[in-house]
Amino acid sequence: MTLPAVAPIALIGAVALMVLLLYLFKPSPRRLIVSSTLIWRRVLRARNRAPDRLRWWISLLLAMLIALGVASALTRPALDALGATAERVVLVLDNSATLATLTSDGRTRWEHAQARAREIIASGGADSSYLVADTQRSIASPRFEEPVAALQTLAGLRVMPWTDPLFPDVLAIREPNLRAWFITDGVAPIQIPPGVVTRSVFQIADNVGITAFDVRAVPGDARRHQAFVQVLNASPGVKRVELQVAGVGRSPMIRTLDIAAGTVAGETFDVSAFSSGPLRALVTAPRDALAADDAAYAYLPPSRAIRVGLVSSGDAALERTLRLLPRAQLLLVPPQRVSARSGVDVWVFDRYAPAQPPLAPALLFRPPRAQWLPASHGDVGATAVTSWVRDHPITDGLSLRDVLAEHALAIQAETPTQVLAADANRHPLILASPSGLRWVEVAFALQDSNLPAQAGFPVFLSNVVDWMTGEPLALKSQPGEVRLPIAGAKVVDLQGRVMSARDALGATLVALDDPGLYTARAGERRLRVAVSVSDPSVTAVNASRLADQPAAPALQARRSNFAPWRALLLASALLLVLEWWSYNRRLTV
Amino acid sequence: MASTTPLLDESFLHKLEMLSLGLRRPAHGQLKGAHRSRRVGSGMVFTDFRAYSPGDDIRNIDWGAYLRMDRLILKLFEEEADLPIYLFVDASRSMDYGAPRKLDCARKLAAALCYVALLSHDRVNLVSFADADARALPARRGKSQAPQAFRFLESIQPGRQTGLHSALRRFFGAPRTRGLVMLISDFLDPDGIEPGFALLRRFRHEVVLLHVVSPQEREPQLPEEVVLVDAEDGVASELDLTPSLLSAYREAFRRHGQDIEAYCRKYGWAYMQAPTDVPLEELTLKLLRQEGLLR
Repeated sequence: MTLPAVAPIALIGAVALMVLLLYLFKPSPRRLIVSSTLIWRRVLRARNRAPDRLRWWISLLLAMLIALGVASALTRPALDALGATAERVVLVLDNSATLATLTSDGRTRWEHAQARAREIIASGGADSSYLVADTQRSIASPRFEEPVAALQTLAGLRVMPWTDPLFPDVLAIREPNLRAWFITDGVAPIQIPPGVVTRSVFQIADNVGITAFDVRAVPGDARRHQAFVQVLNASPGVKRVELQVAGVGRSPMIRTLDIAAGTVAGETFDVSAFSSGPLRALVTAPRDALAADDAAYAYLPPSRAIRVGLVSSGDAALERTLRLLPRAQLLLVPPQRVSARSGVDVWVFDRYAPAQPPLAPALLFRPPRAQWLPASHGDVGATAVTSWVRDHPITDGLSLRDVLAEHALAIQAETPTQVLAADANRHPLILASPSGLRWVEVAFALQDSNLPAQAGFPVFLSNVVDWMTGEPLALKSQPGEVRLPIAGAKVVDLQGRVMSARDALGATLVALDDPGLYTARAGERRLRVAVSVSDPSVTAVNASRLADQPAAPALQARRSNFAPWRALLLASALLLVLEWWSYNRRLTV
Repeated sequence: MASTTPLLDESFLHKLEMLSLGLRRPAHGQLKGAHRSRRVGSGMVFTDFRAYSPGDDIRNIDWGAYLRMDRLILKLFEEEADLPIYLFVDASRSMDYGAPRKLDCARKLAAALCYVALLSHDRVNLVSFADADARALPARRGKSQAPQAFRFLESIQPGRQTGLHSALRRFFGAPRTRGLVMLISDFLDPDGIEPGFALLRRFRHEVVLLHVVSPQEREPQLPEEVVLVDAEDGVASELDLTPSLLSAYREAFRRHGQDIEAYCRKYGWAYMQAPTDVPLEELTLKLLRQEGLLR
């Protein structure tokens, strides 16, 4: 409880007045007539009792002291001579990834930071209260706490390798005697508000880390993949490091590199020999101080080429774009041989539709009428996409805002067909089958539209092929809370452990604090998530703006644990016992 | 306030008729009575022989001795005298207290003793006293005087302060034959009881003190904080009652009785407490007999 400055005096005055009035208006005792008070007087004389007026004054004094003691304790007075000044202390600990760096004494910077925080708590007034906060947007203690509780809160904090640390907005609290401390290694680019005392836990350390790890198809040969690994030596000297890329199906590939101080080394590995699945890059170096950036993860997609059968009367843009798709092997098929052609993974029909549904999934641009497709009733002219579904794998990361068409089929969408894009009159322009054999129908021909000229056209085709072939998408992320573009997903790691996740407006938020490869599943949809630190600003553990700051001297522990308000309460309790004792012996009234 | 019921009922009076006063010393009455005296004369109890002198009552000559010794020997007898009884009843305001009232008990006790004394043909003087005021009923003898004595006792009203010494001095200021003084009181005299007792000692009366005690005085039931007002002098005493104070009071009250009793023992007086919660029959027929005050 906090009280304004004048409140303590007013409270104490009011209590004193109340006690005095109670004594002044104390009801007088009952009068009883007895045969004689001779013997009573004799007894009272023998007991040599103090005069009533004196007893009244003693009693009033005791009651006043008790009441004032309790009232004063409520105001939480600060007596510097007894237990140091009572303060409100805000303790902000930087718990970004670099705080996990080991120091020369074998402890991490984080352990040093916690020790400094404990030092601050120990040096504060016994009646001080503390608000413990971190830089990952979570205020650890919800309010100012007593030292013991603050220490417990502090012990519950840990390093969180999330990006974008931030100084919490805790200084908006308007409190008298407010002091703010920030304990950091100075590596994370955190804007420190004025008035905050910074305590550094920085120490130079050796560190080598992976700052990039990516897998790509070899240009011109979609069945082969290369992994690119970038390693940063953030140590003050040259480092000989061992770089290893491991995957499924064969022995890891290992290389030894000498990397100069502060430089990066890039290495390319042919990972075609690995089976589809997780890939891990691992760098090891002597006296490496930070483990979080030593491993990075990626997903190696299936290396099999996807055969795309194109049935078209000639559309150069479509043909060219399909040829450029990774892993796509384009087959030009005349319409009369569609039914006889086998071994096609995906069909693309340009202004054509077979009478019977094909055996493989199909993408159709302005198909003629067919039994297995939704019926259409003539054309709509000069139309444009005005609305589209954003959380479908086909439209994921795609903007259809500027897609126009001179003509389009007026398709009558029937449930359960899913409309992915429509015009202002709600005419479906892109439709997809919800289940069973997958097909996607575009209501307009590419010649009648500017879709091929859109930057997202290759993405659209790629998404369609991926969706129709059921290839999982791979998402790269840094540790922390990851937003997955599918709702209600269940996320598991490589060991099959289910990660804690929650829904958020058509997406899934999941806390992935550790680097690794995760799989998210929601119904038929599957998503790979490769989580790696891969951040040069994390690996560069010596890039501290506090590198030149001398170490702050240790703070002295407080002189005593003596809290004045506790002493006042204790004194009041003792006086209460005294009052009880004296009243029972009728020394007081 | 006069009692509307008779002091003693008939059946109890019949029981009292079987009793008589027990004296420790010979009586000094001038008249013939039923009590032993130091005088030698005509009586029933043989005391001694002496030689006959002319003028002696020849009915007392021991003729057997004359035949054996050929000398006239006279038999001497203890003369039986009456007993002057002075029955004092405290009528101070402190006696107007308790349930039953101490004054009512004192009246009944006095009536019982008076009745026994009248039956023995003793001269009974009834005196009620409060402060310096002593109201007396002149000496009565014989059972026929009992109703008058009872009326006197019934007419006693609580007065003011206890003033034992002044009342005794006023009463014995007139010449009185030495006799038996029976004092029925609570002995709560602000001026102290010893001056009054000293007066009785000086007149060498045989004294019986009957100390009327109310259970409300012996075991007071009072609130923790109380102002006690003395019924006699109106002095207020503020009390913060604690168990220790209460026990000190009990001790003082007990000591008050003990002091009186010790005084009595010292001077050969009789003392008995008469608690008001003890029935009168038990008090007279049992306790007074145990103490030897009644036989």
